Amino acid sequence: MSAFEHLLHGFGIASQWSNLLVAAIGAFIGTLVGMLPGLGPINGVAILLPLAYAMKLPPETALILLAAVYMGCEYGGRISSILLNVPGDAGAIMTAIDGYPMARKGLAGVALSISAWSSFVGSVIATLGLVIFAPVLADWAVAFGPAEYCALMIFAIACLAGMVGDKPVRTLLAALIGLTLATVGVDANSGVYRFTFDNVHLSDGIQFIVVVIGFFSVSELMLMLEQHTETGQQLVKNTGRMMFNAREAAQTWWCTVRSSVIGFFVGVLPGAGATIASAITYVTEKRIYGSNGTFGHGDIRGVAAPEAANNASATGSFVPMLTLGVPGSGTTAVMMGALTLYNITPGPMLFTQQPDIVWGLIASLFIGNVMLLVLNIPLVNLFARALSTPMWMLVPAIAAISAIGVYAVHATTFDLVLMTVLGVFGYILRKMDFPMSALILGFVLGEMLEQNLRRALSISNGDVAVLWSSPISAGLLLASGTMLIAPFLVRRLRGVRRQVA
Amino acid sequence: MNSDRVFAIAWLLLSAAAAWVATGFTAEFSYEPVGPRAFPLLLCVLMALCSIWLLVFPGPKVAWPQRGGAFRLAIMVAALLAYALVFQWLGFAIATALLTIVLGRLFGGGWMACVATGALMGISLFFLFDRWLEVTLPIGTLIEGLL
Repeated sequence: MSAFEHLLHGFGIASQWSNLLVAAIGAFIGTLVGMLPGLGPINGVAILLPLAYAMKLPPETALILLAAVYMGCEYGGRISSILLNVPGDAGAIMTAIDGYPMARKGLAGVALSISAWSSFVGSVIATLGLVIFAPVLADWAVAFGPAEYCALMIFAIACLAGMVGDKPVRTLLAALIGLTLATVGVDANSGVYRFTFDNVHLSDGIQFIVVVIGFFSVSELMLMLEQHTETGQQLVKNTGRMMFNAREAAQTWWCTVRSSVIGFFVGVLPGAGATIASAITYVTEKRIYGSNGTFGHGDIRGVAAPEAANNASATGSFVPMLTLGVPGSGTTAVMMGALTLYNITPGPMLFTQQPDIVWGLIASLFIGNVMLLVLNIPLVNLFARALSTPMWMLVPAIAAISAIGVYAVHATTFDLVLMTVLGVFGYILRKMDFPMSALILGFVLGEMLEQNLRRALSISNGDVAVLWSSPISAGLLLASGTMLIAPFLVRRLRGVRRQVA
Repeated sequence: MNSDRVFAIAWLLLSAAAAWVATGFTAEFSYEPVGPRAFPLLLCVLMALCSIWLLVFPGPKVAWPQRGGAFRLAIMVAALLAYALVFQWLGFAIATALLTIVLGRLFGGGWMACVATGALMGISLFFLFDRWLEVTLPIGTLIEGLL
């Protein structure tokens, strides 16, 4: 079957009424979660994942829900960026730079509608990219053996360490902590209990959901409490004209398309996510238009570009997750964990073994984005009103829903206590600038990395050279090394140049 | 002292302890060249190396919350722990109502508003999830005893 036939089949699955309903609910919740400052896609997906699992949704429906939430967050983040000058999630930081000045000029409605439109264009272009590139990549990756897989996972972690920029050691340590947490529990190969300290609740490992909720929900609530102040930012109430006109659409068209393509490829790279994509495209567009633009003072292209990019990169990050089983972002790491809850192993075989899930998900991205466009242009005022929900109502609701999700998995008090403990630990790590996305990536990849490492060494009878003997694994390991060393070299070079100057 | 250094020392000790525990991971029967011990040990060594790096090159100072802020955080954590412990005993609805009151007050809600929200949230979330979405939540052994 060609990709086109697969896609048609996917539309068949995505348009079942239950999947349509779930996509609509996900899109709505996603926009809401994305809009609320502090809560981003990873929190939204983390909080909804256990609920989807507890409600016994079939895997493709659960994934459609989570994907819709993810996309919705990328749309929603812009609302508070524009109206409040407080980015709703990390991907929308750049949107505030020009979005808020536009709102102050009485153009909030235009900024909101053009950014919804460019989000939509970004998502659609990136979903087309997903349809074209993903099957090719999966075909290629089917030939991967355990050694290549090890190299690939090391590459993903190294990418994250290199990309997150100025703190490679912290990123590495965070990933290692995640990997170590994943070793807790009974070892599948030998039956040996590791780091369980004779606790029954730990014998099959620390639950993925407990880790995710602890690190992303509880620690987030603690950060919210710390940053909580009585006087909030002033919400721009006067939104003015709600729809962009043809001239504005034409003005932003090419910069939207350009940013979408860049965003997609940045998203495909493991480790680089929406935040980096929107920053790169904003800077690129600013450079392209130079003195012809009013970037920083309410340029409409400064709103369109980062919004197209963050949606495109979110969609792009599905590519490594679906084809290689190695997530491209923290949020897709959580979604990959969702698949493993259903005993589905992500990887290149997913395309042949679970076409319903893969193509249903891809088709639902098209459908979900249409829903999001509808939600985000005519109904944006409704969402904006939700921004005035007081924190004292919001925080207990998040806490209770998080607890429901954790409790739903095993119905034990132990998991709730562990959730709180991990939350405090996560708070400390986040205060000290350890990237949580690396930790969760490590946790998700931990078991796979160890299994593949051991399998590779079993095949070679203990000869370590097997790990870098094939050109693919050697290339990936070399690239990983470069990723880790490059930031140091760049900094060193810059230092030298400064001294010379 | 710089908090990076404190963390690095703590993590170094923890890695050493974990490595010591990990040396005991031996399988009685082994079919493979790499047993259950190697990977955790490797991770401990790498974590120790990262910790030493942080010890030598610590980052900038971390702005930890001041006394009042830390106190409020401690209340929040205590409330969440208490919530976990009474979850099955008081049941979801009552426990959630109490949690809502404490957290709501921490975030500046009025007494009456928090109590009303708490009651509403406990009951509505219970019905939404337990009855409608079929996510089983505890009714509470205390309440079951009374009934």
